[in-house]
Amino acid sequence: MIASIKAEWRKNRFRPAFLVSAGLIAGIVVLFYSAEWYQATHPGGPRGLVSILTLYPDQFVNNVMGAGFPLGAAMALVLGALIAGSEYSWGTLKTVFTQRPGRLSTLAGRVVVFQTWMGIMTLIIFAVGAAYSVVIASVQGQSISWPAPFDIVKGIAAIWLVLAVNGSLGMALGVLFRQSAAALGVGLIYVTVLQIIVVQFIESFNGGSYKWITNWFDGQNATALLNSFTSPAFGHSTPPAIGAEQAVLTLAAYLAFFIVASAALLRQRDVT
Amino acid sequence: MTVVETSGLTKRYGSGVLAVDSVEMSVRRGEVYGFLGPNGAGKTTTLRMLVGLIRPTSGTATVVGHGPGDPAGLAKIGALVEAPGFYPYLSGRQNLKVVADFASINHKRVEEVLDIVELTSRAGRKFGTYSTGMKQRLGVAAALLKDPELLILDEPTSGLDPQGMAEMRKLIKDIGQGNRTVLLSSHLLPEVEQICDRVGVIRGGRLVTQSTVQELLGEEGVLVTAQPADRAFELLTSMFGVAAVSRQNGSIRLRTDPAGSLEINSRLMAAGIGVSELRPIERSLEEAFFQLTGEKQGS
Repeated sequence: MIASIKAEWRKNRFRPAFLVSAGLIAGIVVLFYSAEWYQATHPGGPRGLVSILTLYPDQFVNNVMGAGFPLGAAMALVLGALIAGSEYSWGTLKTVFTQRPGRLSTLAGRVVVFQTWMGIMTLIIFAVGAAYSVVIASVQGQSISWPAPFDIVKGIAAIWLVLAVNGSLGMALGVLFRQSAAALGVGLIYVTVLQIIVVQFIESFNGGSYKWITNWFDGQNATALLNSFTSPAFGHSTPPAIGAEQAVLTLAAYLAFFIVASAALLRQRDVT
Repeated sequence: MTVVETSGLTKRYGSGVLAVDSVEMSVRRGEVYGFLGPNGAGKTTTLRMLVGLIRPTSGTATVVGHGPGDPAGLAKIGALVEAPGFYPYLSGRQNLKVVADFASINHKRVEEVLDIVELTSRAGRKFGTYSTGMKQRLGVAAALLKDPELLILDEPTSGLDPQGMAEMRKLIKDIGQGNRTVLLSSHLLPEVEQICDRVGVIRGGRLVTQSTVQELLGEEGVLVTAQPADRAFELLTSMFGVAAVSRQNGSIRLRTDPAGSLEINSRLMAAGIGVSELRPIERSLEEAFFQLTGEKQGS
């Protein structure tokens, strides 16, 4: 497995899709903070008043959670679909499978490297958020104080989990369809459209008596987990229907399921 | 000693297509074995089964002493199956380093194999910019990384220009020297005739024959056209025996070493028989192949 990790890291560290996604997620955080800063200092816009207090360093963990879902999740899904699906279209899977490691060992190496990259993307989100919050505090003449280290670690783990689950969904779809394009299309439609429509339908069906089913959708759990990072500075918010602990367990189960599904498909099917 | 041994190897796809049907193949250590057949005959499917990329529906295979796809066996096999598959955004050298990492091979070997396939000067260019010939060379280089006991090459000259084909054939000949076994799949008959020691001919998924190239070409002989034909036939029968002489379209066919042609000519001339034609009988591999596969020449 060490050999697979080494090889997967070598081939992916300069992969254009990964480098572009790292830049893109950083840009999204900058854009998000810039828009919030503008709204906080120019009240009366369409989103109403944004408190400048939410943009200072002590709130940066709560604030960057917005980058995790659905934008961060969609990007993770795209990367997962690309890393798995392109191996088929480039014919590299047969090159890799005729080397020494077995199929599952190869997949294990890929999963480790991919999830490491999800960790790097998470750290980029946090680093850019923290840096921008320092810029805002400095310009606004505020003193700089940071969240507790444990809260920062919890926040990093939460966003990583959301990215990891959606990235693994992309990988599983890439293996299922044996190509990137179909995996991307189906995955993005599921994450950004289909899941929302299905959840809305179930919530409205029979007076909402089946609403409990929606608590098991990955998107609902991701949103609940990220929304659990809040503070009075963000104003009044209704408590989420799904607790953070349940959301973590549900998302961890999804992560395990997507990886096992990829492994089963990769192990059983012919490479043609 | 056999390096590849298959028994009843069969692959039937879900759609009902029988791609490979009970193939009994035997490749001996140190030989260059040509796996010959028309497009769609089942060559690539068989090779994919040997390296574990696809699972046989039935039958067994042993490759360098292991089951197909066994990591211990794959460590001794270098394979280029169909088109070479590499990462287009990485250079040739980086691609080989990735493959070397997967195979747990020291990166020093990367430069050695680049040198063998004469790709060192262009190894820094991205794979996506390579010509077909360069891609094939890189594929062979990757297959050589493990310094394999068995090298499996599937249509390695496919898509190459005549110059590239000649260079690739020379390269394969060089690689096949010594104790290394090469299993070469091809539908190009001159290629197999030039390079291979033994051949297996596959048609419609079935291995129709397996023999040395010489055996496949048939026994040696001499064709004589002489007048008067009856006297020539009598004389030649007295020289070589009834079993070795036969009539063929107005000529006489002798089963004998063509090296004795001078002696045959002298005896006929001495007997007052006029010889208008005397030549060795050579069946090309192409003729043998079309006869075995039942395909029409030139079709």
